[in-house]
Formats: sequence, C-alpha cells, structure tokens
Amino acid sequence: MTLVALQDVTKSVLLADDSRLEILRGISLEVGAGDHVSIVGRSGSGKSTLLNILGMLDAPTSGTVSFEGREVRRMRSGRLDRLRGDNVGFVFQQFNLLPGRTALDNVMMPLGHARGSLFWNRRRIAGDMLERVGLGHRIDQVADRLSGGEQQRVAIARALVRKPVLILADEPTGALDIDTGASVMALLDEVATETEAALVTITHDLHVAARARRHYRLDGGVLAPADLDRAFEASTLAAPVPSPAVEVAT
Amino acid sequence: MTGLLGALADAWAEIRVHKLRVLLSLIGIAVSVAALTAVVAFSEYQRQYQTEQSDRWGGRAATLVIGVANDDGTPVDVDEFDERFTRATERFEFSHTARVAQGLMLPVQLPDGVVEVNARLLDPGYSQIHREKLLDGRWPRDADIEALAPPVVITEALWDRLGRVPLAQHPTVALRGQAGGTYQVIGIVPRQGFGDEELRVDLLYDAYRARVDALPEGAFPQYEVWVGPDEVDAIAPVLAMDLRAGLPAGQSVSVSRSDWAVQPGAADAMATFEMITGAIAAVILGLGALSLVNIQLVAMRQRVREIGVRRAFGATSGRVFVSVLLESLVATTVAGVIGIAIVVAVLRSDWVVPAMFSGMQDVPPFPMRAAFTGLVASIIVGAIAGFVPALVALRVKVIDAIRF
Repeated sequence: MTLVALQDVTKSVLLADDSRLEILRGISLEVGAGDHVSIVGRSGSGKSTLLNILGMLDAPTSGTVSFEGREVRRMRSGRLDRLRGDNVGFVFQQFNLLPGRTALDNVMMPLGHARGSLFWNRRRIAGDMLERVGLGHRIDQVADRLSGGEQQRVAIARALVRKPVLILADEPTGALDIDTGASVMALLDEVATETEAALVTITHDLHVAARARRHYRLDGGVLAPADLDRAFEASTLAAPVPSPAVEVAT
Repeated sequence: MTGLLGALADAWAEIRVHKLRVLLSLIGIAVSVAALTAVVAFSEYQRQYQTEQSDRWGGRAATLVIGVANDDGTPVDVDEFDERFTRATERFEFSHTARVAQGLMLPVQLPDGVVEVNARLLDPGYSQIHREKLLDGRWPRDADIEALAPPVVITEALWDRLGRVPLAQHPTVALRGQAGGTYQVIGIVPRQGFGDEELRVDLLYDAYRARVDALPEGAFPQYEVWVGPDEVDAIAPVLAMDLRAGLPAGQSVSVSRSDWAVQPGAADAMATFEMITGAIAAVILGLGALSLVNIQLVAMRQRVREIGVRRAFGATSGRVFVSVLLESLVATTVAGVIGIAIVVAVLRSDWVVPAMFSGMQDVPPFPMRAAFTGLVASIIVGAIAGFVPALVALRVKVIDAIRF
C-alpha cells in the first residue's frame, strides 16, 4: 500500500534578483508501508526540501503529493497538521529538541497534540518510549544536557511515540560521531521495522544510506535510483557495509 | 477538550521552564493589579468613611429633621410641641428619635477659671442616629436622666483642660450659672482632626430642663427621627401632616431630610475619586502590559524553531495561537491573584485601614468588587499582551522555523 506518492513534483523559489531557482525537477516517488528508502546527495542538492514535501511541511511548486491516496494540496491547513501529527515522525540533523524541557517533556510533546487515550496517557507512553530507546534512566534530565547520541535518541523517541506510519530522518547522524551515528541508525532501523513504519532517510553518508532497501540519489534537483556499490567503490572512505539484517540483530 | 487542555499544559510548561523571565515580566503586572485592586478597595473604605463622617453631621440615611417656628419670630412653646412630637412618635412607632438643641454656651469651672464652652442638649438616641464615636466611655442612657449627678460627654480638648483624668476614676465637671452643679463625665468625644480644640459639653436634654425652665434665647430644639431609607418618602409627608394638624395659628412645622444620601453631590464626589485613582492604576497597568508585550515579542523571536517543531509534530496554527495566548493569560492571572492576595493581606491587617481611615466605626470586610476588578483586569491584560505575540507565532512558517 502506497503511503506517500510524489508525482512530477517541482519546487522553485524566487530569488532577490527576480530569477527563479529550480530546487526539485519532476520528481516522482512512492513510499509504501514498511519501506526503507534512502536518498543521498551533495549539500544543496534539495534533499531537505524533498523531505519537507514528503512530510507535508512544504508544498511543491507544481506536481501532486498524495498521502494514503488523498491529495494533500486540497486539504485545509488544520487537517493537514493533524494528518501530519497522526502519521509522520521527524528526526532532524540538529535534533531540534525543545530547550529547557526534560527528555520526557520532549517525547510527550507530540502526544499533547493527540486525542483520546494517547493524550490522557501521554506521560506513561512517553516514558515507555524512552525506555525503549534506552533512556529510561534519563527521563527527567533536561534535554540540552544530554550527550549528542542521547539527544538524537530522545529525538527518535519523539518521532516514534505516536507510532507514525512514516518516519522522515534528515541527516540523522550528521551531528554525531561515527560510532554513535551507527548505533542511532541501528536503533532507528530497529524501531521502524518493529512498528512497520516506512523510513525515509536523507543523508550524504553512504553507510547510513546502505541500511535502506531502496536507494536514490538527488542530483541537480533530479531524483534517480542510486547504485551504492559503485558509490562505495568511488569513495575513498569505502568500507565493508554491514547488512541491515545483521545490524538489527545486534 | 483535549486541545484546550493540551494548550493549557503547553502554556503552563512554558511558564515553568522560563520561570525567571516570566517572574520578572510579571512583577509589574502583579504590582499594577495590586494597585488597581487597592484603589477600588480604598474607594469602598473611603465611601464608608465619608458615610460615617456624613452621618455624624446629618444623621444616618434616612434622618428626618423636624423644626418648629412661630411666623412672627417669637419663641415656640417647646413643651407643647414636645407633647405633640411624642404622641406622633408613639403613633408611628419610631424606634430612634432625639431632640437636640445647639447654640448654647455654658460656664464651666476649669482649673484656670470659669470658661464659657459650647453645649449641646441631646436625647440618648442622638448618638445612634449620628453614629457618634467616643474616645472612651459611653453615651448617656434613658436611665441617666434620674441621676443626681447628671452625666455629660465632653470633647477631648476639654478633657485635656480638666487634667485628662481617666474615666475609671469618675471625673466630674462643675457647671456654673442656671444649670450649675456637678456633672459626671462618662464619655470623651475624640478630636475630629488635627487642631480640633473645641471645648464642648454634651448633656441630656431632660437633665438640663430639670434644672432650667426654659432654653436660653437663641437656642431652640430640633427633633430628629431615623427611619428606613425605603420608607422615608412615604413617611415624611404623612408625619408632616400629622404634626401640622391642629397647630396654633401662626406656627409652622418643617420636615426635611438631613442625611448625606439626599445630597446630590455626595455620590458624585466618591465616583470622581474612584475614577481618578482608577485611571492612574489603569495607566500603571497599561505600562505593565506594554512591557509584557515587549518581553513576549522578544521571547517569541527566540521560540521560532520551537514553534516550527511543534507544528511539524501536529500542532495546528490554532493550537499554537491558543498556547501562546494562554501563556500570557495564565501568567497574568497568576500574577493578578498574587497581587490581589497581597492587597487583601495588607488591608485585612489591623494597622492599615484604621490608620488611613482613623475613626471609622464599621470597617467593612474586604470588598469583593475590588478583588473581582483586579482579577478581570489581569485577565484582560493577559489577553491583550498575549494576542500580539500569538499573532506573530501564528505567522511562523514551519519550514522557515525548522531551518532557523
């Protein structure tokens, strides 16, 4: 079942000199339930813009974005916000945790926008999710005072706490060292697999991208399937890539 | 329901996290709400104080004053009219009546010689009608008329001249002239303000008349009746008709109200006082609100990313607007309640109101109107101070905020 579908999506912005900058050109992409997709590309290639459109945070200049078969453009703002809150979880490169709040407060935040039992039981659900990401002993710690890896784990817990069907990770290891990044990605993969959520990861790290089942490259605003083996061969940082299955088991 | 509760929880969390900023920004609000509450409360106390002051001069609402005079200016036969008034009083079943004669001068023996002092001849009911308050002692009662040493109430200034002998030692005062004799001092009227040096003696009307056949020339009694404010309009004309019925030719009776409530300017003066002081408090409150708006706007600039993140996780623009509005609303309401609580605590203490309204007899309880006004003002200020930052938050674009 297709969760989110992009059809001939373009995105351009008007610059100060009245010229138009084309960021995305004719992108078509379908992400299904439980899918793991990676998109690699150089800085400035439009990866984040694509992720924002996938997450319904941004609207394309042309083309259509559909979520579970419903065209997003036709939805009213409030409904779109609720749809996003119910179905999409974001993991940002810079974590974007709420400053001054505890880990628990941060993970509770999305549940505060939910309804019913999710809202009323938000403290317990958030606590359980922090336990799940290995931070059960840090729930009352102010998020700013956690290490980078711990902050990203809080961000992952926050992204997953409403059990979204789509997880969008924008350079999730960009601010972490290699080892911490690997453990964070392993956790993200594991939890996404567990909850059968689709995971779209945007990265410029080939090792991170290699964890996905489908790989794309965004270059000059054009999205094309990527051959990671060739990319690894070309990379001076080439190294054996552990298979996702093995990584999940560890 | 969950939306509003969630917004409230967000607002409270924001206040809790930024305690210091919120605390500093709200000191001004708390102070100005306290000022507004205090002004309204003082206005109520002032109203009571002025009422009591007015009662001392003109009697409580509603006091009817009955005067009798001969058209040719000759003295009235007081005893005859006394009987007429007493009969009318019994028919109407008035509970509080009094005769009062002023304008008398009596010679009093002081340590430094005999001095002419002002005197008033009163019935016991006068002190209740006029809410007279004593520094010490009591007012005469009906039974005192038979006393061999009739009781008198003197002013504090006269008490000082007599050596300020404590009432427990049963001081006396010696009057000379027709009413001469020894009188027992049973009460002291306090000074009515700084520099009040009036020497005056108040004695029972009947006690005086038992010694002196007639009132001195120029002194004539007035008759006072205290009736309910709701009944006065009905009673006054009937009483006047009753008293006029069968009057000797050439004699006239006037019945009029003397209390403050009938004075047209009394209520206006108090309203003006409240309006002016209230306007000052409102200006203070406005300045506090402005500073709060300023702080909230600066804080909002620092919270753009946070708002973006919240929007990314499902917060609608309406929810963000309400959260920011509630932050201000909750904070100013809490500040307002604190300000009101401080005013209540201060004004209910034993030293503020008695010191500011010296001589007030019936100190009213803390006026709920003042607390309500303060609370409403703090809520309005919170709504205004929260509205502008909430509009700014509403205009935050999620995509720009996350990139911020």
